[in-house]
Amino acid sequence: MRALVIDDSRAMRRIVSSILNGLGYEVRDAGHGREGLDVLDEGWIPDLVCVDWNMPVMDGLQFVSAVRSNPAWRRVTIMMVTSESEHTQIVKALAAGAHEYVIKPFTADAIRDKLALLGLLPEEAVL
Amino acid sequence: MTTPDTGERRRSSDARPPITDLMDPATVQVIVDDAWTALVGEDEPLIPLPGQLPADVLSAWVDVVGPWTGSVVLTTGAQTAAELTRALLGETAPELLEYEDVADAFGEIANVVGGNVKAALPGPSGLSLPEVGDAPAVRNPEDLLRVDVLWRGQPLSISVQGALPPLPVQ
Repeated sequence: MRALVIDDSRAMRRIVSSILNGLGYEVRDAGHGREGLDVLDEGWIPDLVCVDWNMPVMDGLQFVSAVRSNPAWRRVTIMMVTSESEHTQIVKALAAGAHEYVIKPFTADAIRDKLALLGLLPEEAVL
Repeated sequence: MTTPDTGERRRSSDARPPITDLMDPATVQVIVDDAWTALVGEDEPLIPLPGQLPADVLSAWVDVVGPWTGSVVLTTGAQTAAELTRALLGETAPELLEYEDVADAFGEIANVVGGNVKAALPGPSGLSLPEVGDAPAVRNPEDLLRVDVLWRGQPLSISVQGALPPLPVQ
């Protein structure tokens, strides 16, 4: 399975990528939403996108809206991974088309549990 | 007949509670502890004790803009910030840390702490991208909440500080 991690913090990209790698995902990353769209435009379509909210150039909410406006990417599952924890912000992200929401700080188990809920745990991680 | 503007209405609508009316140090401590456990690990918890910051410090902060406007600032020694970066990145840390690595990691810790402080304040509020460097000046000592801790025996301070100067005394 493929995952795209989008966060303007290299540290956070490394942490999330490491968790997903450990679960068996093939992972690519991007520093903001526009770079993330570039990856999709290349034809590298992930099963999962983990995207931060506050980023320069294109933020997470704009990225979600852009992905949802393209029918070719409708199968992509999007999980917001962000420190935006206000209820109204969460509702906004879900309304835009995100499937799940993980609030920083999180643990590896929290990511794993969300993926299990989404049916996106690779087989090797379930065993 | 027009009523002369005495400023009364403007002043009453401009009422802005200081951070100490909105949050207490224990809440900040819990937020920082949670961030630490998740990002840095639970093996090296923060000790709630003050310490003397060294001369060579680094700050990372995010700004909160909303009913309360200010910054959430983390400050520690430059060497401790580098150690924090290694702890945060774990086995993915590069062999040779550059300033950008430290700024990025320390900024992300400030982002996580700031985001959760924002969530505990009256909203809606906006959150800026993290910045790293010399901390913004404290503009109103009455609108300041500070928590001091030790990590690996080294001091770290967390300040939630208002961005606005005190209102003129009437």
